[in-house]
Amino acid sequence: MPQRRLIVEAEVGLHARPAATFVQTATRSPAEVTLAKGDGAPVNAKSILSVLALDVKKGDAITISTDGDGAEELLDELASIAGAP
Amino acid sequence: MTTVHSPVNGRAVGLPAVPDPVFSQAMVGPGAAVDPARGPQVAVAPITGRLVKLHPHAYIVVGDDGRGVLTHLGVDTVKLRGAGFELLAVEGDLVTAGQPVVAWHPHAVDEEGYSPVCPVIALDAGPESVSGVVSGPVEAGDPLFDWH
Repeated sequence: MPQRRLIVEAEVGLHARPAATFVQTATRSPAEVTLAKGDGAPVNAKSILSVLALDVKKGDAITISTDGDGAEELLDELASIAGAP
Repeated sequence: MTTVHSPVNGRAVGLPAVPDPVFSQAMVGPGAAVDPARGPQVAVAPITGRLVKLHPHAYIVVGDDGRGVLTHLGVDTVKLRGAGFELLAVEGDLVTAGQPVVAWHPHAVDEEGYSPVCPVIALDAGPESVSGVVSGPVEAGDPLFDWH
């Protein structure tokens, strides 16, 4: 499955605005989209509850995964949201 | 249906009154907001469930049915790095609606230049799933809105 691994650079981590934008963008895809922190289990990237509960902080490594048509483009977009300072 | 309770004493003002578009435009989810009274406060659990996430400035309680409610104590208050907030519960605790979670000082948040208005958000809820949003004076533990 196509994936992106990156380090979260936002001062607030994946909370508040970055988290909401990330989930809204993931939700546009009909395919399954997951988010994992470090070596942890992946969670549903379309769930704001799951993403906030994952508690991704600045400097954390994350892996975003999805499949299907447009997977690479979606991953690029999600990675730019999650990786933005 | 889940009745979501006010986490603080103050005045229910509605999400559009929150001075941060991520909340006022319901990007995080639908819900309500309370402008807290400015004395020292004890913020409480808005629903009964597990305290899955506890930060000094924000916490999430997830009920038996899997529904999660985010309480955010002020706007951008993550930047206070916990100063002025005292945790009264432990992440992972089972809490009942109205149970104390965080002691804090809304007036101190004001003085630091942040808004102490508290968004209370139904997470992963559709825009039409929240109704009965209260407006006007509320006490901590009073019903704030219904989540269908």
